[in-house]
Amino acid sequence: MAMTDELRVSVSPRLSAVRSLAQMVEEFGDANELPDQQIYMINLALDELITNTVSYGLRGVSRPKIEITLQVSENRLVLTMEDNGRPFDPTRNTNPDLSSPVDERPVGGLGLHLIKTFADRVDYEYSDGKNRLVMEHDLTPAAR
Amino acid sequence: MDIEVAEERNDEVLVLLPVGRLDSGNARSFESVVMDHVSSGERRLVVDFSRLDFISSSGMRVLLIAAKALKAGEGTLVLCSMKNHIEEVFRISGFDRIIPIKESREAALAASS
Repeated sequence: MAMTDELRVSVSPRLSAVRSLAQMVEEFGDANELPDQQIYMINLALDELITNTVSYGLRGVSRPKIEITLQVSENRLVLTMEDNGRPFDPTRNTNPDLSSPVDERPVGGLGLHLIKTFADRVDYEYSDGKNRLVMEHDLTPAAR
Repeated sequence: MDIEVAEERNDEVLVLLPVGRLDSGNARSFESVVMDHVSSGERRLVVDFSRLDFISSSGMRVLLIAAKALKAGEGTLVLCSMKNHIEEVFRISGFDRIIPIKESREAALAASS
């Protein structure tokens, strides 16, 4: 499979958008024969990123915009999110505490850890008034 | 957005079965269902995942809050019957080391008694 397939969605900046987007990602993933685990991880990342952006980054921003792009090629899956909210680099967030006992664990910070675990490369830049987060995941032939 | 949660009782263990998706859109609703039970005195909770297809980190956060609250009152929270892709996420996040996950409802009930 040498072609590149792409899903591009302008997401309405509301929490409820996560669910309709998840449906589209599932259909796109099925059409491209992505493993269920990968479709799941993409939706997990999107739930986290969109929730953060809608709740914090875009609050009070006029004409808020989020654009999600998902590209699948022979050996790579690329998930890109762009928004025109306040500059926020999620890759600089500290790693969460995964080892302490349950009653000592801070609540939160987990979603970004999952994203970093899922992606082989995560890049962030802020330019032209936009946050741009690119997550790349290598696909092995066996996983397709 | 509300989540549908089926409830079954097995002696002193209350089993909760969230249905469908547990994400940032309905995590608050799930939190109030779970914490209402904890504050009304339930001490042994099992969350059965057999009817759950998706859980995001906001849903997992609710389980962490419940586990903390129950542990503070000498109670227990046990999870069971997870689909493979969900169990993988619990493993990656280290949740499997702090909240017990059992293969079946029977094993979860045995661990709760």
